[in-house]
Amino acid sequence: MDWKSFAAEAAGGSLKYVLIMAAIIIPVMIMLELARERKLLEKLAAKTGPVLSIFGMSPEASFPLVAGFLFGISYGAGVIIDSARSGRITVKDMILVNIFLSVCHAVVEDTALFLALGASPLVIITGRLAAAIIITYLASRSIFIRRYGEGTGG
Amino acid sequence: MAAVIKRGVVKGLTVTLELAKIVVPVYILVTFLKYTPVLGYIAKIAQPIMKMVGLPGEASVAIVLGYFTNLYAAIGAIASLNLSSKETTIIATMLLIAHSLPMETAVSKKVGVSGLAMVTIRVILSVAAGAALNLAM
Repeated sequence: MDWKSFAAEAAGGSLKYVLIMAAIIIPVMIMLELARERKLLEKLAAKTGPVLSIFGMSPEASFPLVAGFLFGISYGAGVIIDSARSGRITVKDMILVNIFLSVCHAVVEDTALFLALGASPLVIITGRLAAAIIITYLASRSIFIRRYGEGTGG
Repeated sequence: MAAVIKRGVVKGLTVTLELAKIVVPVYILVTFLKYTPVLGYIAKIAQPIMKMVGLPGEASVAIVLGYFTNLYAAIGAIASLNLSSKETTIIATMLLIAHSLPMETAVSKKVGVSGLAMVTIRVILSVAAGAALNLAM
């Protein structure tokens, strides 16, 4: 085994990648913080709200959905718990939000990570979004979820 | 404004550091495997399955790491493998749909969704997306 070229490739390659990563992820994080400051979430949620009727969800569910979609599960979960406590979101909608987010969350950060590797951001986001829409639609039509629907009137 | 930017920089550095802690060791390990016959064996065994999603056999290492541990480990492996941009896009989409499955199963259960059902669905969606992208791209 060629130890010298192994050491050069392992050290050089990993360092290079971490630097590329930092160069992409730091600006992305600044943009996310600015978006949060500008109340982008509220504006976007207002627009996506009516679309959620295809999943039989109420417009109120769009805020935690958009929050998790853009900022990630942990941020979205905080919003979901808050929405659930204040009674703005039904159990059925909460489960559907979770199913959607389990496949498609933190798109900005996640996509940036793979952008550094040379993947196409548009294809990644479209593919993930399509998978999330399919699974959420199927779940919203399933017997499992209808059981919750009867109980909450949603 | 300055406070917002500072918060973004701190978050960016935190993510980079967390990432580096996993990406660097995995990158070194996979690079080591490349220099031994081991990666070649793994590639040969996995090749027939990986071909369905248009990926080389070696990429199975990244898929397994991503499914069972987390995205950062998978990223370390992908960075070391020198995949083409089409292959990177396919593996990225597959891994983003399904990753960290043992941990996220626990989360699913908390909200009242069967963990096993969720894992099964995500893996199926992941492989289906890989196969679809392989044909479409």
